[in-house]
Parts: sequence; structure tokens; C-alpha cells
Amino acid sequence: MSSIHLIPRVIERDVKILFSDTFLIGIMFANFCIDLFVTAATFGNLIGSSYFLRIAPGSNLITAMVAAFQSGRDIWREKYIKDLASYLLTLPVSRRVFALSRITGGVARSVVATFPGTLVISYLYGILFSPRLVEAFVIVAVFSLGIVGLSIAVSAFASTIEVFATVRSAIQLYLSFLSTIFYDVSLFPVIVQPIVQTNPMTWAMQAFRELQSQGSTLYPISILVGPSVAFAMLGALCYLWYTRL
Amino acid sequence: MSSSTIQVTDSSELSAQTTSRLVLQMARRDIATLFRTPWIIISRSLAFIIQLFVFAYLISGLVISYPDYFRYYAVGAVVSTVASISFIIGYDIFEEAEEGLLDYLLTLPIPRREFIIGRALGGAVRAMIYTIPMFVIVAVLENFANPLSLIGAVLDLFLIAFGVTGLSITVAVSVRSANRFDVVLALLELAVTRASTALYPLNFLPAYVKVFAPFSPVTFAADSARAALTGLGLDVLGLVGLLAFVAIFLGLGATFYFRRLEGGVYA
Repeated sequence: MSSIHLIPRVIERDVKILFSDTFLIGIMFANFCIDLFVTAATFGNLIGSSYFLRIAPGSNLITAMVAAFQSGRDIWREKYIKDLASYLLTLPVSRRVFALSRITGGVARSVVATFPGTLVISYLYGILFSPRLVEAFVIVAVFSLGIVGLSIAVSAFASTIEVFATVRSAIQLYLSFLSTIFYDVSLFPVIVQPIVQTNPMTWAMQAFRELQSQGSTLYPISILVGPSVAFAMLGALCYLWYTRL
Repeated sequence: MSSSTIQVTDSSELSAQTTSRLVLQMARRDIATLFRTPWIIISRSLAFIIQLFVFAYLISGLVISYPDYFRYYAVGAVVSTVASISFIIGYDIFEEAEEGLLDYLLTLPIPRREFIIGRALGGAVRAMIYTIPMFVIVAVLENFANPLSLIGAVLDLFLIAFGVTGLSITVAVSVRSANRFDVVLALLELAVTRASTALYPLNFLPAYVKVFAPFSPVTFAADSARAALTGLGLDVLGLVGLLAFVAIFLGLGATFYFRRLEGGVYA
């Protein structure tokens, strides 16, 4: 079997790991529901009903972020807890292909984990039965690509779960609070605005908002691709570094 | 007769001293781990600072329907942070069980009751050590200076911390899969803090949350701390609710600990 043919197998393995615990998927959806129907709904009551719709996709993207970080955590566990890393390296697939497959597997897991959430947001935005639904999934996939890359990069360097959890929290803070989920970029101090404008979450949110206003998602998605691909490459490089014997 | 009475008194005093010493010893062990895991302090402190100085500051500019939302959010952020940090003891116990260290700890000559109380106390004190600097920041920012009010609020924080450590220990010994445990605890943390009045005023919560929120332990702590700090007086209902929460989850944690830990398998 050629190396290329093994890619779907590696992805399938990662997706199966996600499905090995369906309870986990349910919990992630519950997490999404709390974010959307408690936090976003309350801010909708505090600020205005349109605000609820404005921040709604943030709940789904935060779930995608959590799911993407689970991929990195699994890779960390394979190395430090389950001692599976050496076995995986004996598989008849080149390391480069293996690394890219793991990242693709992570993206697939995120898209699957956020599937119900993406449908809920699409329903709220009135695109559930329109071809634009595909764009919603593309946004989640492109956004997840970067976060999976980041989580794998962190898993390669974190020697303890505390370090992994700390870096994960810092990245999650950056993505959540230094982005335009809750407020416009203009509200930030001028010095912070470049950080907000280069945040992948900002562009993923912008793309979702274009779906709501029936605008084109091409521009925000094309910008989102930049950091996502860069983070994915960083993840792949770190994974290759970490798999050196 | 009298000498025997004296002897009994001495023995019970000795027993009480031994019990409290053992509880403190267990608590001290958990507090000591605080200083061995600076990463957690860094991440939680960073989260609080960003939450307060970025999120709360910017969002309170958008909230016009509730005056001085920043002050409301700031006190609630301290309460939700202490609750959130108190959950960490569960991670510790789960990790100890996974690594087999818990089996060793259970062989120590410490009665189970002292063991569990000591661990919950250690977790709560540790959460307080984390949170006091954040509480000081909020007190300085919002000009909370009355010593009695500050003591009242610290008591509320301690009670919620003590109760949540009991809850976290209960979950840690009930869930056996590492992935599941991680997500369950995160969800529980989210549910307990969000479905409460810690960060959002009751009147603005969605109707389906408004039904449950008044009974959340975090609501008891947040409302009681706010009442103390803003000079509204003592929130007796909140304090009673907090005490009940502590008693229930400390009891549950102890029961689960005894019944399910020994001989269990962690995957």
C-alpha cells in the first residue's frame, strides 16, 4: 500500500479516537449550548437582540478551538502517557505525510465535533437550507486547521500536562478576548489593534457575519487562510521535530 | 472516678489534636503543590487580568441597560475565578489515581475522614491564595475599604472554594476516563459559573436560566460578597446556601472517595 493511500487511514484513526467516546462529543455540544444560550443570550438581553446574532458564531468557533486542542492533547498523551509515539513511527508512511495526516485528522475531528453547532448557527443565520451552508463548514475547517497546528506545536514542546494546559489557556484567551467576537476592532487601544486584526478568530467571525448579511465570504476566508496555513505548517514542523528518535 | 474522667478528657483532647494535626498535614501537602505548579498560577492570573482589563472594560462600554456593569462584573469575576480554581484539586486527585500515587496515599496512617477533609481544605486554601491578589486588585479599583465588608466577602470566597473542592473531588472519583474527566470538569465549571449571577444580573439571564440561577452556589457566593462589599449588609440566605453546599459536597466527596477509589481502574 502506497504512502498516499495510508493518509485516509491515519485520518480515520484520529476520527475514530474522537468517536471512541461519543459522550465527549455530547459534552462539547453542551459546552457550545452554554456559550450560546446562556452567555450570548444574556449579552443579547444586556446589549440588544442583534448582539446575540453578532456573537453567536463565536460559541461555535470556541467549540472548534476546544476540539482542535483535544487533537494536540491526544498527541501529547500518545507520547507521555500511552507511550505510543514509537509504535506510530514504525507505520509504513513517511513522517512528513504522517504529520500532515494528523493535522488533517485534527481538522476532520473539529468539523465533526462542531457539526451540530454549525447547523445551529446556520439556522440562526437563515442559511440552513441554502448552498451557503457549505461556506459555514469551510470557515470552521479553515479556522480549525490553524488551531490544530498550534495545538500540535504545543504538544511537541510541553513536557508536562500543566505546561500544555497553560499554553492552551493563553492561546484560548488570545483567540477569545483579543478578537472581534465581542466587540469591534475600533474599541481596542490603537496599540492592540494589529494583534486583533491578525487574530484568526477575527477573520473567522467576519466570514460568519458575511453569511448573516448575505455578503461574500471570499475576502475574510482568504485572509483567514494565511495564519491558518502558517500555524498548520508550524504544527507539522514541530511534529516532525518531536518524532526525531 | 475523677482520675478516670480526667483520663477520658485527656484522651479526647489528644484525639482532637491528632485529628486537626492530620487534617492540617493533608491540607499543607496540597498547599505545597501550589508552589510546584507555577504554570497554573500564571495561566489563571493571566485569564483574570485579560477578563477584567480587556473584556469587562470593553463590554461594560456596550452595556447601557445596567449601570456600572464593570463593578458588577469585577466582583463576580473574583467569585467565578475562585470557583474555577477550586476545581483544580479534582485534576490533582485524578492524576494521582492515574499514576498510582493515590494507592500509596491511602496506605498512610491517616483516617479517611481526615484525609478527605484535609484535601478539601487544602484545595480551598490554595484557591484562596491564588485569588486574594485578584480580590485586592478589585478592592483597590472599586474602592472597597471597609474591613468588615472585606472579611465578609473573603468568608464567602472561602466557603465557595471549600464547597467546589468537595464537588471536584466527587467528580474526580466518579469519572474514570482521562479525556472524559477533562471535559466533564470543564463543562461543570462552565455551567456552575455561567448559570449564576456571578457575571450576569439575574434579570438579564434568559428565562430558562433564571429558574436555576438563584440556587447556584456561585450565585449565593456572588450575591453575598456583593452585599457585603457594597454595604447592603449580610446576605443570610446566601451564607446558609453556601454552608449547605459545603456540607453536601464534602459529604458526597467523602462517600464517593471511600466507596469507589480503592481497587479502581483508571484508563
